[in-house]
Amino acid sequence: MILLLPWIPFLAAFLIMLAPREKEFLHKQIAVTSCAVNFAIVLWLIFHFHPEVPGYQFAHRYPWIPFLGIHYQVGLDGINMTLCLLHALVSFTGAIVSCWPKDRMKEYLCFYLILTGAIYGVFTALDVFQLYLFYELTLIPLYPMIVIWGSKNKAYGAMKLTLFITGGAMLALFGILILYRNLGLQSFDLLEMRKNIEILPMNPGTVHGLAGIFLVGFGVIASLWPLHSWSPIGYAAAPTSVSMLHAGVLKKMGPYLMLRLAVALLPDGVHYWANTLAVLSCVGILYAGYAAVKQQDLKFMIGFSSVSHMGYILLAIAVMNQATLSGAVLLMFSHGVMAATTFACIGFIYEQTHARGVNDFGGLAKKIPFISTCLIMASFASLGLPGFSNFVAELLIFFGSWSQYPIIVSLAIFGVFITSLYLLRMVKSVCYGAENPRWSLLHDARTIADKLPFVILLGALMLFGFWPQGLLRMIQPAVGALLS
Amino acid sequence: MMNLRYLLPEWVALGVFILLLIAEILKGDVKHPDAQNIRSFCITSLLGSILVCISTLLFLKKTGTAFGDSFIVDPLSAFFKLFFILTLFMMIPISYAFFNKRRERLETFLLILWCTLLGMFFLASANDLFVLFLCIEIITLSFYIMAAYLKHELPSIESGLKYLIIGSLASAFLVFGIALIYAAVGSTNLPVLHQAFVAHPGDRMLVLGMLFIIAGLGFKIGAVPFHLWVPDVYEGAPIPTVAFLSVGSKAAGIFVLLRLLFQVFVLTDSQRALLFSTLSALTMICGNFGALKQTSLKRLLGYSSIAHAGYLLIGFAVGYSGGITGVLYYLLAYAAANLTIFLVMAIVDRHLQSDRIEAYAGLAQRSPILGACFFIALLSLAGVPGTAGFFGKFLILLAAVHGGFLWLTLLGLVGVVVSLYYYLSVVRVIYAEEPAYDEAIPVPLSYRLTLILLVGGIFVLGLFPAPFLLGCYHTAFMLFQTPLS
Repeated sequence: MILLLPWIPFLAAFLIMLAPREKEFLHKQIAVTSCAVNFAIVLWLIFHFHPEVPGYQFAHRYPWIPFLGIHYQVGLDGINMTLCLLHALVSFTGAIVSCWPKDRMKEYLCFYLILTGAIYGVFTALDVFQLYLFYELTLIPLYPMIVIWGSKNKAYGAMKLTLFITGGAMLALFGILILYRNLGLQSFDLLEMRKNIEILPMNPGTVHGLAGIFLVGFGVIASLWPLHSWSPIGYAAAPTSVSMLHAGVLKKMGPYLMLRLAVALLPDGVHYWANTLAVLSCVGILYAGYAAVKQQDLKFMIGFSSVSHMGYILLAIAVMNQATLSGAVLLMFSHGVMAATTFACIGFIYEQTHARGVNDFGGLAKKIPFISTCLIMASFASLGLPGFSNFVAELLIFFGSWSQYPIIVSLAIFGVFITSLYLLRMVKSVCYGAENPRWSLLHDARTIADKLPFVILLGALMLFGFWPQGLLRMIQPAVGALLS
Repeated sequence: MMNLRYLLPEWVALGVFILLLIAEILKGDVKHPDAQNIRSFCITSLLGSILVCISTLLFLKKTGTAFGDSFIVDPLSAFFKLFFILTLFMMIPISYAFFNKRRERLETFLLILWCTLLGMFFLASANDLFVLFLCIEIITLSFYIMAAYLKHELPSIESGLKYLIIGSLASAFLVFGIALIYAAVGSTNLPVLHQAFVAHPGDRMLVLGMLFIIAGLGFKIGAVPFHLWVPDVYEGAPIPTVAFLSVGSKAAGIFVLLRLLFQVFVLTDSQRALLFSTLSALTMICGNFGALKQTSLKRLLGYSSIAHAGYLLIGFAVGYSGGITGVLYYLLAYAAANLTIFLVMAIVDRHLQSDRIEAYAGLAQRSPILGACFFIALLSLAGVPGTAGFFGKFLILLAAVHGGFLWLTLLGLVGVVVSLYYYLSVVRVIYAEEPAYDEAIPVPLSYRLTLILLVGGIFVLGLFPAPFLLGCYHTAFMLFQTPLS
């Protein structure tokens, strides 16, 4: 089952490529079905996942390039199981959102499915070469998707996003190559690497250098301040379902890979950089929060907001203990679902109005009650209100880091206030206040297909808000194994 | 010993060449080219290249010499012969697409291609410095003609002239180096030279001769500081010529460098590392940054080919079987991607009428298959995972890290980011911009098949590299194992 995850979307993309151009409905059917099948597979995997069993489950391993010790190797523990669930949720809803009318639907869906498959590849891979291959593959469909179907300054935004993330990926590749050489294992197997490092530690200088390389390399995609500047521009330019996937899932690959490569393999190195990372993440939280307050464009605002939220996750990685890392993984999930919902709401409004300034709207709660409710709920989730899983996650991170960085945690909590400042202001000016007569023709989500994405995303957010244990019972043993 | 059977691939190639030559003399008509004639010419060439390919495969594992030591068959020569013949195979549809639509004399061009191929085949087996030089001259002379082939178009003539002047300069370097070495040793036989190099490693004449030869080869592969001709010649020359120049001629240069550097010349590791890492760093920087501001696609590809020469030179700096495996694999990947690009360019040439990048606007809408192939080939050149280019770069950089060339690796990785900028700019034009004309560009079935073959090659080399990797490794390994006899 798990082996199918990346390949079903690839196959679907191939089928769409072969299908005749006029049959747009068929393309949509193929795309949505393939994502739904993947969603079902992920659910099946979750129900057959045993949190109490140590190590990776559903593991498979086939030789790929034996000459260099490269395997096609997959497996799930609590961490990537959670992220697969996140990706299943967002990619399925994103596929529905992708079907909103647009030009050149066929190509769009092809690129979308390639992107989806590559992300599944990242979240299931256990071989560093394979991991890297899928990781960089995710970048490629993004560029044409943003540059063809994007809006506002799209050529610049797309290029900046691609180059920044590629730069980070190249640095990470450099680290991987050095790691491969220094271990002398002739293998890219993540588990073997880990075992080998435990038996034969590398010299401290190399460990520190490598950890730094990984933190910066993957920090780019995790929008670590000051490497975040691609993110708001890129999201503002991207079409809706790309923003959803990128802010929701792709960005989580950064911290995920940090956990897999830096925290698991080079814990001493991460300790060495902990103070720097904590300070940078705190600056990121505050700076991006402040920048979000100043934004007049909704997508820019949410883009900065996501940079600010990623700061909490990076802070958790800097502290690196059981509580914070569990919180970090939970926050990756919650923030992913929340960000996807917000971008879907904004996208829904933008599709009809082609406006997305904070002050362009007003009184939308009356005009489009369903979408407004979703937007308000997502905002509440974002500012960490109890009842949404973000609350539990942030609490875990703050409790876990308090003893180590009391000042930074206080500043980070202040960041939550900044978040509420701009989000509540947005809710006020978009959903309430005087109705703007320009949008009298605006209509709400009417059909089930329109409503379904929002229902699924918010449902998941609330389900795990009231029952965080559902995810934490999988995450905690995995984090424990990571740290041991 | 004559051992003529070792020359089987050359005999076959010579046979095809003579057959085509006779056919051209008897039936060719310069004034009124006959479509049927041209097609049978192409088909004969295709079949001939398949035959040559098979006969080369027969000698894949054999080693031996002929013509009193001046001709050698070994894994390295077999690898490059296969490479050259596959390139020629792909050159036939490219030439057909380009010249047939322009109503130019395709038959003569194919004849020159075969002549170049013969030069390349003998080059791959040359075991004598003099034969080596002769083969390089055959190749270069054919390229002079091919570059100036569009005799009614000024840019083509200009390009031919430029290549003639620069090529002669390169030949002068080569021949001067050979003369110095001959003066010092008194022989042109490669094994004898090798013994001389081993016996007198610091001899001034030998070192000077070696440096002159390396400089001459630097022109051929387009390495800095001998790269200035590349963009100019690429811009003016007809597309098939550029394709063959960027793939075949560069591979020939790489081959001679491999043969001489690792089997004849004696350089210590640190000397070789210093020389080639400097050259490769400069070449990568020049190529990648030079390409940034180009508006002509052919010029851009010229600079990109300089950058790729830089990556190949990393492998030379590293040396050993690791680095050379990388070089060989990289060459395969580069050839597959470049030939795809030039095939697409040749197909659309008459529809776009220009090689400006803007002219390619909306290509993906006018022909989705051409757009997709172009996209994939550009990604492979940039080194995106899943494509051949990535694995080639991966192997070279892995070898570089193993050899301790950390700064060179880092420079190579930065180069990837820079190159992504200009490749993606082309992708943007192809995909996102509105086409100037809406009419679709038809792609006949034969081109479709060729494109699928090439793009399939890019993916197979990128995703299932194991067998090819072993082949490259075997070749590289044998390069260091078998002294020339």
